[in-house]
Amino acid sequence: MTVGTHARRTRVHVTGAASAAVRPVLESSRRPARVLAAFPGGIYLEVRTELEPSVIALITGEAIRLPNSVLLAGPLPRVTVGDDASVGDRSIELGPLSLTVRRWWDPAPPLGPVDLTSLAYAAARLIDPPEPGLTGNAAVGMLAGGCAEGRLLRTVTAAEQLMGLGPGLTPSGDDVLAGLLVTLRRLGAAAGVERAVWLAGWLGATVTFDARSRTTPLSATLLHCAAAGAASPEVTGVLRGLAGTQPLEPALRRLHRLGHTSGSDLAQGVAIGVHAILSLGESRGRPHE
Amino acid sequence: MSDVPREVVLVRRGTYHDSVTLMRVSQALSGLPGVTSAMVAMATELNVSILRELGFSIPESDPGDLLIAVRASDTETAVEEADRQLTASRRSDPAPEHQPPLTTRSAAREPAGLVLVSTPGEHAFAEALDAVEAGLPVMIFSDGVPVWQERLLKERAEARDVLVMGPDCGTAVIGGVGLGFANVLRPGPVGVVAASGTGAQQVTSLLDRAGTGVSHVLGVGGRDLSVEVGGLSALRALRMLDEDPATELIVLVSKPPAPEVARAVEESLGRLRTPVVRALLQEGAPDLTEATEQALRALGRPVPEWPSWPSWPGGRPPAKTIKGVYAGGTLGAEAAMITGTGDVVDYGDDAYTRGRAHPMIDPSLRVEALSHTQDTDVVLMDVVLGHGADPDPAASLAHAVARAPATVVVALIGTEGDPQDLHRQAAAFREAGAAVFTSNAEAARHARSLL
Amino acid sequence: MTLLSAPARVVTVGAGLLDDALTAQAVPTVPVAWRPPLPGTAEALAKVLADPRRPAANELAAGRLTSARPQLVGVRRASEVLAEGTFLHAGPPITWERASGPMRGALIGAMLLEGLAGDEHEAARTLAAGGVTLRPCHEHAAVGPMAGVVSPSMWVFEVRDAEHGGTAYCSLNEGLGKVLRYGAYGPEVLERLRWMDEVLGPALAAALERTGPIDLRTLIAQALQMGDELHNRNRAATSLLLRELAPAVVEAAPGVAAQVLRFINGNDHFFLNAGMAAAKVSTDAARDVPGSSLVVAMARNGTDFGVQVSGLGGRWFTGPAGVPDGLYLGAYGPEDANPDIGDSTITETSGLGGFAMAASPAIVRFVGGEVADAVRATRSMYEITLAEHPAYQIPGLGFRGTPVGIDLTLVARTGLLPVVNTGIAGRVAGTGQVGAGLVEPPAEAFTHALLALARSVSESFE
Repeated sequence: MTVGTHARRTRVHVTGAASAAVRPVLESSRRPARVLAAFPGGIYLEVRTELEPSVIALITGEAIRLPNSVLLAGPLPRVTVGDDASVGDRSIELGPLSLTVRRWWDPAPPLGPVDLTSLAYAAARLIDPPEPGLTGNAAVGMLAGGCAEGRLLRTVTAAEQLMGLGPGLTPSGDDVLAGLLVTLRRLGAAAGVERAVWLAGWLGATVTFDARSRTTPLSATLLHCAAAGAASPEVTGVLRGLAGTQPLEPALRRLHRLGHTSGSDLAQGVAIGVHAILSLGESRGRPHE
Repeated sequence: MSDVPREVVLVRRGTYHDSVTLMRVSQALSGLPGVTSAMVAMATELNVSILRELGFSIPESDPGDLLIAVRASDTETAVEEADRQLTASRRSDPAPEHQPPLTTRSAAREPAGLVLVSTPGEHAFAEALDAVEAGLPVMIFSDGVPVWQERLLKERAEARDVLVMGPDCGTAVIGGVGLGFANVLRPGPVGVVAASGTGAQQVTSLLDRAGTGVSHVLGVGGRDLSVEVGGLSALRALRMLDEDPATELIVLVSKPPAPEVARAVEESLGRLRTPVVRALLQEGAPDLTEATEQALRALGRPVPEWPSWPSWPGGRPPAKTIKGVYAGGTLGAEAAMITGTGDVVDYGDDAYTRGRAHPMIDPSLRVEALSHTQDTDVVLMDVVLGHGADPDPAASLAHAVARAPATVVVALIGTEGDPQDLHRQAAAFREAGAAVFTSNAEAARHARSLL
Repeated sequence: MTLLSAPARVVTVGAGLLDDALTAQAVPTVPVAWRPPLPGTAEALAKVLADPRRPAANELAAGRLTSARPQLVGVRRASEVLAEGTFLHAGPPITWERASGPMRGALIGAMLLEGLAGDEHEAARTLAAGGVTLRPCHEHAAVGPMAGVVSPSMWVFEVRDAEHGGTAYCSLNEGLGKVLRYGAYGPEVLERLRWMDEVLGPALAAALERTGPIDLRTLIAQALQMGDELHNRNRAATSLLLRELAPAVVEAAPGVAAQVLRFINGNDHFFLNAGMAAAKVSTDAARDVPGSSLVVAMARNGTDFGVQVSGLGGRWFTGPAGVPDGLYLGAYGPEDANPDIGDSTITETSGLGGFAMAASPAIVRFVGGEVADAVRATRSMYEITLAEHPAYQIPGLGFRGTPVGIDLTLVARTGLLPVVNTGIAGRVAGTGQVGAGLVEPPAEAFTHALLALARSVSESFE
């Protein structure tokens, strides 16, 4: 970190590692932004832009690495909700802080090919997440059923009911949908089940269409990320576990620990997605063959 | 008279700083008003002989001691400044529970994913061996490591199933993390195995420009594909990229391997599921830019025009000779191949880096070379951006370019994400009168066309 | 094969610039505070490190050192285990000509005790003429503190390694003040030694027959947790040993029990000698592993500091013994101090003493410093050792095992020399103890050993 003298005030130049998902917003011309929320480990900035993700998380090493986050090499500045900021032209300006990116990380790394037999074997070891936020909710059941049967109307109807459902910055309904979307898109592609990827496309289009008016800004951005396959490393870890490239149980435990119920909700979505991929893969065969 | 230069040589027993840090301090001291000459260096045989040549008389010292030699009107202030800078370069971490580890072996007690070794070459073996014995992959940036030690490290690494990158490995990128001299790259489908650091930087910078990202760049060191080492790391790196889910295409960047090794490499390539593009830097083979274009086409992606900025026509006499003034060995070799001139000097070669930092950090030798050119010369030079490189190469080199009598053509290797700001660097060299190309091969062809 | 993924943390060693570049990318790093190795060792280091036998050899040697189970099995008269006409002494081999004041004083005292000379002058003449064979304790499975002189009528602790079967000996501690081990040989010194021969030795021998073997590994582990570092502080260990022995002494020698127990109780360092024998039997278990760079002995004779290495048999590698830096008793000062002397560095060699300083806040001021210095000293020793002792633990470091098993290559690489706690002997024969403190071993002892190890590596592969 270096301290330089700007025209009016002292700027603190810091660098960091950004999710490739935020690259379009960072590389477009400068837009105004404001502080949406501030925690000891992270600051959420809402950017006035049509691009997604429109919410960017500035985080330190300890915080959850959401797919829209920029990991800082230095400490976070002290800010309060509502503070002005700006994002674009390759930097983020927030209070005295001027942030540039020195590393890009992939929030949706490819999983490599996986065959349905080993996926079924891995899926059998998916333990139930502890206390998901929507235990026993009928819409969750409908979502699972709709996906497994590949019925778009039923899936979309369930999704409409789940969006924004639950308390907090990322309502449980959205987390289930995000876990599902990421799994259908990435694991579906890895398993060669095109119907799952197709379903992810339509479901993604539905939930992102009016996400900004249906749920919190952060959750809306995360749904946009999920529709594109982008997720936190904890979710990617579980997908890799299912694909057989890393141990599944420890990855699941790490995911379950996230947030209040977020980790369990995401895991629930992942489980729905995996069962849908297996069911769609069995009933339709492998379309690309 | 107070402004008569006085001379002082201080020995700080058992104080160690790395050569790059010391080079920076020496430069800063030399720039102080009233300082005629200044050198802060470890008391190695080489440094002591340099200091003697500068006319300093050196008290008894051993290579573990630090020497501060200053000739200045006010030596006291200069020494104070040296101490201030040396203290600032140390991390302040005094609590006993935060005593820093003194060896790689000790550091590896904490969980880690990789070891980066950049000690002087004669001492790199111990640290790298610690890494291998701890089961960690290691990048050896140091050069001057004896070949038997390289062979032994790589054999042990086979047994431990870890990758040894280097010695003399300037560039690596693993999962986006840039090690040594690497560029800020977007993530993507191309994996690179490179026996040449700057070669890999050229290929990956062009790919990034074309909007195609990189999964990993695995450097193996310039000697890996020799008979003595047998390509142990290259073969392992190829297998690793073949197993890597993110890698859809591999680019192999190297000087032509030894024939025996070439056979083993070709056999290994035949067993890979992932397609491979070769950039082997030999007559008749594609140059680095062409190899990059092949890779893009293989991925079904469009090949863009590589950005370049022509120079303003100057009133110089017709050009007669091309002089290559390179920091990157492979880029220099590519330039020599394309221009057909033998007069390409690689200032990154061991012969020039003994006792001083790499020309990608320390511009002084190339600044001097530029000043010795003729108005009938075409100077072809590379400026490499990225992590670890000079934070603002134009600051020293563009000035030298502007003053050089020769016509200058610059190959500017870097990405828009690099800390030095590619566009600002290009503008500075252009304003200094140079033609600037992002492709070294195009720069070389342009230079040839000027004759 | 491990899959490629961004390293969560990178160890960096060398140019700070490359570490900075990683930090700027928000990659956590562990920078190594690297410095060049000891002068003249670079080539030998590479050779020794490259020896394919080394990793397994060192693991075996360190494993034997830390798994040894020393037990106090008896007390014997030295004449039972020592050849006639031979005196043992501390440190590497020494001649009368090169012997320092306290070493000469102790040898004179032994001559007088054994009745081999009428007075000190005759004793000195006989010794100078080679009338008695002088051999290092270490070559006879023994160790001795300070001058370490052992003659036939002295009594020794016998310690056996229940794990590997070795045996080691160490003389009985005479107490503080004017004592033979510091080179004093006045009438009161000889009188005490005669009492030890006639009363103390036989009483302890009889008591140990009753107690059976006493587990010193457990006793040392407990003493560490009670604030001893087992070299300059032995108060807890002495108390623990006394507790084990007392009933048996009373039963075995009721007539002299009171004076025997009072003698032990009056000497906080009584355990030191038993602890040294325990250390010796443990380090001996690690000897003679081909290719191992583990140090199995550090010892001083008042003139030279010597080390022995597992992979190099019984060879000594020496450098000049330094003068300790510490606190002085009464009016004594550094000018009264003799260069470093004694086999008690066997405690450091086995992971105790200076290496366990962090366990002993009570003595840190005595050896010149604050508690933080003691913690720093122990922590720094992890940099030059191969293992952490499984039984000897330091409460203040979260019950981390003490650093144990000095590796020659790590000493040469870090330039960090073993931290040694020691008593300071007076320079003039007969003065006795003048202080206590820390001493820095000479680097060349380690350098010479490393060069020899490198030569032996080349020989075994040619």
